[in-house]
Amino acid sequence: MTEMAKDGGARSGGRRAPDLRDLARQFLLLELWVGLWVTLKNQFRPHITVEYPKETVELSPRFRGVPRLRFHPETSEELCIACHLCETVCPDDCIHIVSEKKPDGKGKRLVSFEINYERCCFCGLCVDPCPTKPLTAIYMSHDYELADYQRTGFVAPLKHLLDGSDPTEYKE
Amino acid sequence: MDRDTIEHIVIPTGQVLVAVAIVPLIIAYLQLVERKVLGFMQVRLAPRRVGWHGLLQPIADALKLLIKEDTTPAMADRALFTMAPIITVIPALAALAVIPIAGQPFELFGYTINPWISDINVALLFLLAISSLGIYGIIVAGWASNSKYSMLGALRSSAQMISYEVPLGFALIGVMMLAGSASMVKIVEAQKSAGWWFVGPQLLGFFCYFISAVAETNRVPFDLPEAEAELVAGFHTEYSGMKFAFFFLAEYTNMIVVSSIVTILFFGGWLRPFPNIEALAWLENGWIFLVPLVAGASIGWLIDQRAGTGLRWMFAGGLAGAAAGAAIGVTDAFGLASAAIPALSGAFWFSLKVSFFLFMYIWFRGTYPRYRYDQLMGLGWKWLIPLSILNVVGTGLAVLLRA
Repeated sequence: MTEMAKDGGARSGGRRAPDLRDLARQFLLLELWVGLWVTLKNQFRPHITVEYPKETVELSPRFRGVPRLRFHPETSEELCIACHLCETVCPDDCIHIVSEKKPDGKGKRLVSFEINYERCCFCGLCVDPCPTKPLTAIYMSHDYELADYQRTGFVAPLKHLLDGSDPTEYKE
Repeated sequence: MDRDTIEHIVIPTGQVLVAVAIVPLIIAYLQLVERKVLGFMQVRLAPRRVGWHGLLQPIADALKLLIKEDTTPAMADRALFTMAPIITVIPALAALAVIPIAGQPFELFGYTINPWISDINVALLFLLAISSLGIYGIIVAGWASNSKYSMLGALRSSAQMISYEVPLGFALIGVMMLAGSASMVKIVEAQKSAGWWFVGPQLLGFFCYFISAVAETNRVPFDLPEAEAELVAGFHTEYSGMKFAFFFLAEYTNMIVVSSIVTILFFGGWLRPFPNIEALAWLENGWIFLVPLVAGASIGWLIDQRAGTGLRWMFAGGLAGAAAGAAIGVTDAFGLASAAIPALSGAFWFSLKVSFFLFMYIWFRGTYPRYRYDQLMGLGWKWLIPLSILNVVGTGLAVLLRA
């Protein structure tokens, strides 16, 4: 900062005699040599590029990928109790749930559960109110490869939400 | 065919064909080296997909340029538009004619072949003349494209040429005075008899010449004629396919020519370091040590790059290469050390020095931002021209006083 002030003063006003050291520095092109040294040094640093399709970066445990539904880890039943809380809280209105009363009395069960990834903003707000304990029925997975050939591929039905999905086939 | 025809027609033609065939190949790989070095300077990987560590990338690029559609803008001047790349590339290749790559001639099928195409006694003047011809190609390209960007690039190029031809020429005069000749071969021989490279007495001349030469070849930090941040691509904005490849070829040939001239005039051409110290005569065979050293170190470094192990393998590979070289040199295994004919040794030192200056070009490109237009003019007229005139006067006085 002081260097800049000195330089600027010397150039604009010419009130003070130019510093001998500054002159020598300019004449010997000191800054240019420093620059060359920096680039030379950096050549020998290991690269920081990740060659993406071949290798991927390590995700943090709290990384929020696409929201998915979960089976019970032991009984392999759907965990979702069709309470519609995630649908209510979703700021993008991308969750669409259809439910019906269980035929054998108490509670409801899912008929269909769709998430529209085109609208989803991966905020994770749907996970917060999920009442199932100890695991939430909806969770943020670590999937982030979302490219698809058709827009219909972005609306994930219940089956995809539970088992994971593949991109649709390419069609002209 | 009698002996005369072969000596005066067939051999020079063969040399020309070899030069014209090999230089584009060298340039293709120089381009890969440039992309690699720039990548490493920016701590990234550079081309890697085509071939091992991107080694086939230049071939892919050349093929792409060959089969690409060759378009001409509707409002362009068609004749000039086609001529411009030719005008640029021919002088660039013609300049190679006077570059000697080694000192001693060698024998092939009973004929003596010189490691240069021609050794004329006005080689420096020829080079100055031919290198300023190449600029016409750029100006014609800018005019014929009928595009603002091309025109601005061409205008900048002509202004730059006028400013930098002067210090370029003055910087050479000092060397001519010391050597007493303008022939490339004589200049190198003068350095041998003087016992030191001319970069010593002509440090100022070297400085002026190299900066002006970077400006003449339109390379960073003086790449105003193509300034991709301001003028799209400058003078070759409208060019595609092979015509674009020709401009490219010319630019890189000019780089090689300029590096060769610097090597010959200031760094002793094919001479080894300290050419008159007998104790260092083993440096004549320097390639036996240096080539394995560099190869080992480079392979080690590539392993380091993959594994992220700092520079451990680079040093190990360099040491192993140097040791292998020393072993070959001492024991004369495979007759390699004694097979080092003078022409080969000269070519080795020459290409080593030229490679260093080509690396300097890439190094500058990785380091410096572009000059502003007025700064470029200021540097040329206010610094380089006075400094090079000072160099001429000083050298003249020194030569006069010593005589």
